[in-house]
Amino acid sequence: MLSLKNISKYYQAGGNKTYVLNNVSLDVDAGEFVSIMGPSGSGKSTLLNIIGMLDEPSEGYHYFMKEAVHQLKEKARSALYKEYIGFVFQAYHLIDELTVYENIETPLIYQNIKSSERKALVADMLDRFQIVGKKDLFPAQLSGGQQQLVGIARALITKPRVILADEPTGNLNSKQGEEIMELFRKLNKEDKVTIIQVTHSEKNAEYGTRIINVLDGKIDSSRNV
Amino acid sequence: MLGNHIKISLRTLRRNRTFSVINVLGLALGIAIFLLITEYVAFEWGANRFHKNFDQLYRASTFTADADKGDYYLPPGYAPTLKNRVPGINEVVRVAEGVGSGLVIVPGTNGSTAGNKSFRENKVSFADDNFFRVFSFPVIKGSTSLAKAQTMAISASIAQKYFGNGNPIGQVLNIKNQFGLTPYTVTAVYEGMPQQSDIQADILLSYKTLENAAFRNGNNWADPNGLGSGYTNIYFMLNKGVDLKLFEAQATQVIHKAAPDAAKATLAFQPLRNLHIAPSFSYHFQTYGSLVLVVSFLSVALLIMMIAWLNYINLSTAQALYRAKESGVRKVLGASRMQIVGQYLTETAILTLISIVIAIVSVKLVQPFYNNFLGKELSLTVLNQGRFWVGGITVVFTGCFLAGGYVAFMLSSIDPLKTIRGKAAITIGGISLRRSLVVFQFTTSVILIISTITLYRQLKYMQTQDLGMNVQQRVVISGPSTLSGSQRDNTLAFENQLRQLPYVQKLAASNNVPGEGYNFSADGITRLNANVGDDKKSYAMLIVDDKYFDTYDIKIKAGATFTPQMLEQGWSKTHKIIINESAAAQLGFKNTENIIGQKIKWDAEFEVVGVVKDYHHLSLHEFIRPMIFLPAVAHNYFTIKMDTRNLAGHVSQLKSIYEHSFPGEPFTYTFADESFDKQYNAEQKLGNVFMASAGAAVFIAALGLFGLATFAARQKIKEIGIRKVLGANVLNIVTLISADFLKLVAIAIVIASPVAWYIMNKWLQDFAYHTSIQWWVFALAGSIAVVIAFVTVSIQSVKAAIANPVKSLRNE
Ligand SMILES: Nc1ncnc2c1ncn2[C@@H]1O[C@H](COP(=O)(O)OP(=O)(O)OP(=O)(O)O)[C@@H](O)[C@H]1O
Ligand SMILES: [Mg+2]
Repeated sequence: MLSLKNISKYYQAGGNKTYVLNNVSLDVDAGEFVSIMGPSGSGKSTLLNIIGMLDEPSEGYHYFMKEAVHQLKEKARSALYKEYIGFVFQAYHLIDELTVYENIETPLIYQNIKSSERKALVADMLDRFQIVGKKDLFPAQLSGGQQQLVGIARALITKPRVILADEPTGNLNSKQGEEIMELFRKLNKEDKVTIIQVTHSEKNAEYGTRIINVLDGKIDSSRNV
Repeated sequence: MLGNHIKISLRTLRRNRTFSVINVLGLALGIAIFLLITEYVAFEWGANRFHKNFDQLYRASTFTADADKGDYYLPPGYAPTLKNRVPGINEVVRVAEGVGSGLVIVPGTNGSTAGNKSFRENKVSFADDNFFRVFSFPVIKGSTSLAKAQTMAISASIAQKYFGNGNPIGQVLNIKNQFGLTPYTVTAVYEGMPQQSDIQADILLSYKTLENAAFRNGNNWADPNGLGSGYTNIYFMLNKGVDLKLFEAQATQVIHKAAPDAAKATLAFQPLRNLHIAPSFSYHFQTYGSLVLVVSFLSVALLIMMIAWLNYINLSTAQALYRAKESGVRKVLGASRMQIVGQYLTETAILTLISIVIAIVSVKLVQPFYNNFLGKELSLTVLNQGRFWVGGITVVFTGCFLAGGYVAFMLSSIDPLKTIRGKAAITIGGISLRRSLVVFQFTTSVILIISTITLYRQLKYMQTQDLGMNVQQRVVISGPSTLSGSQRDNTLAFENQLRQLPYVQKLAASNNVPGEGYNFSADGITRLNANVGDDKKSYAMLIVDDKYFDTYDIKIKAGATFTPQMLEQGWSKTHKIIINESAAAQLGFKNTENIIGQKIKWDAEFEVVGVVKDYHHLSLHEFIRPMIFLPAVAHNYFTIKMDTRNLAGHVSQLKSIYEHSFPGEPFTYTFADESFDKQYNAEQKLGNVFMASAGAAVFIAALGLFGLATFAARQKIKEIGIRKVLGANVLNIVTLISADFLKLVAIAIVIASPVAWYIMNKWLQDFAYHTSIQWWVFALAGSIAVVIAFVTVSIQSVKAAIANPVKSLRNE
């Protein structure tokens, strides 16, 4: 479903190019659960952001759902990711001004979904994550794990085919982290959602079906679990 | 989507309470002041436009080569002369303003003279029969015509004053003025003339009356067909589509033919819509209002509005750091840029609406005080005139939406990647933008402060300048309205009686007094061996008695004051005059010692018996004019220098003596110093408006600064915490935050000073006598700005400095 061919990303520093990603090629099939690992500064987040179309590569070819992303205009690209991709962040990035309910609802608003339909979808999601009781609370009133749960719920509300998660458990304790990972596994198995996550934890990486190691902007190794 | 925007906006505004309140306060104050000033401007602009035919109405003026402004007091004979001879005239109406002023005697109810009541009225004009047809002053009762001799129309308030609720129509009132005692029949009652009318009269007498020489009392200059003396205003209603240039040329030609004396003058017609406010600064017609005032007020209003908008931009972009994350996340969740812009614009709209509501409520609240102080009946409904509210709303909304739009586009341009990484600090529009805005705000504030100080200094200067005479502790009693043979003796007897009173220290009679005016202006006055052109020079003439100079402490430089014999004979027989130094100079005398006894030619020959030192007869707006004093038993004003202790008792005694000497004449008095000071009302008002505006500008700018300081303190909270842990004290921290802002204020002072100097220097040039702009004014204005800025910033920085560092660091 997703294919990167000879992707490079560099920054111009002085006269030199510093490569953050150097000639990376990667294919991910629908239904995979990929964990990306690697030392700090190796380019994991950059890679994930490029996959998620938040960032553009300096060079290379990028195909997503058979579309040549590197040739698409901004508008088409954002339409593409709006439809297929959901993001989960290490720092949750919930909107402080919105309640749990409204945070989850927001992506639907941007997809121009009718209010009655939105209500049903959000209610479903709250139910599924067992946070109905928390729906009127603001992010500041939740624990980190609860916030991340809301973050995932929000990512899932538009029924994306792919979830991109950058250190989703980075700010959580190990028990909370485990819960999130269980959730990902369930999503992957039962809902056939493709998941690509960046993680520093060996243990969390094991939840994936494939583990990729990034080193100095290159894919160092890739193994199936 | 909009509902969602509104919900989120309200929540955001509530969450960022400090910023919202500051924003709303600044905007509301700006809008309120803008509305108040626009009311005034609309009022001034709308003057005289309520007449249905105002577009066709003109007032005639004559222009001569040497006069800067037109003269609109014309001989009444011009009206009939032009009426039939120049095509294009629909109506002509003459209004001789104030010419009929004097005493109105209202008969008592029982018919005997004992019940008579008399009133002194000074807004009594003569008007032609078509007055109410041409002008839109509604007539409440009676006929609209003043066609018959000895008929009159009175205003509703005069009717109330004279007759209470009784019917005035058909009543006969005796009017005693310069034309003797004439009975007039009331034929109409009209609604009080609105403040927006430059034509003001409490009583209108039919012009027709003056056609009869018997009702002119020997004042033949007032003959309605006369072509010599100019004393009346003539209004023309021209047919639509008349070529004004051609019309003026034809009218001038007709007048030149009919009145060869007027051959120097050209006739021109001033549109009624420009009667109050000139359409340009170089307008040659006389106007009642002041374009300069309107333009300065309007500029101040716009400046304040601008400061408020900049505040908005400043405060909103300062919050970008916090809002950026939200924008970034929304983008990742699929929001388009336009949707984010919509969100911010909704916020702006809500803030603007709240501000407008608060502004309107505040305007309503302060309206009475404002009106009181401007002496105008203003209200928001004035803005209805000339669609001023359209302009006003456009200005307010465009400004707010430009400001809001700018903020929205800046905030929506944020790259979501940056926020998600949460690494790079986000500054929107750059620090330098916010700095320039602060500099601009304070520059404007400092200019307004300097202007205010200069205005008040000039006012003070004019009020405290040595006038060359003394108006303190002088009470001025208005004399009887006319002087018949016996009243002349009464006058002398009255004066004698007053002189006996222990508290009357000095007493003079004159036909006009300082601060009020002269008696008339004259030219054709020269030395015996005159130079060419000397006869064109103008002199201000004042009719006085022998005590006038002493009573006002005017110094006699050479010669002596008039003798009682000279008064007795009057100036037209005795041919003696006293002149001031300026007159001596204008006449061409080099050495004052030689002047006494010299002859001056003014048709006949007059002998100079005295020279007085120059004094300011009128305000310091004008240069001291060459003055000639003429001796007479004057009776218009009695000036008493008196012991002002127990004033009330003295005044009541003066009143009873006066009423005894001049039966039927109402007693009125003023204080000479107060009347003189009234000439500075315009400056007083301007000063007050500037003071209020400067205050508001500084306040709004300070609000903005407060917001920025809050932001800076928040942004630097970690830095402050670390510094404190490293041993920094409160002062170090306060300096860290404040220094930056004070620098901006300093820059503002540097920019503002020369600009303010230039503007105020120009303004001062309009005064014949003016103060200079001292360096300390700039220092003072600067200090005010710095102190206010420092206090504002300190509130926040001290708070930040004394906060527990552990807390802020743990939060990171
Ligand atoms: N705007 C930029 N300009 C220059 N270099 C950048 C920029 N953004 C990121 N980099 C560099 O790119 C490299 C990769 O960054 P990236 O965030 O992808 O690392 P990461 O593998 O996610 O690290 P971590 O595990 O710490 O999150 C880093 O060395 C970083 O300094
Ligand atoms: Mg990373």
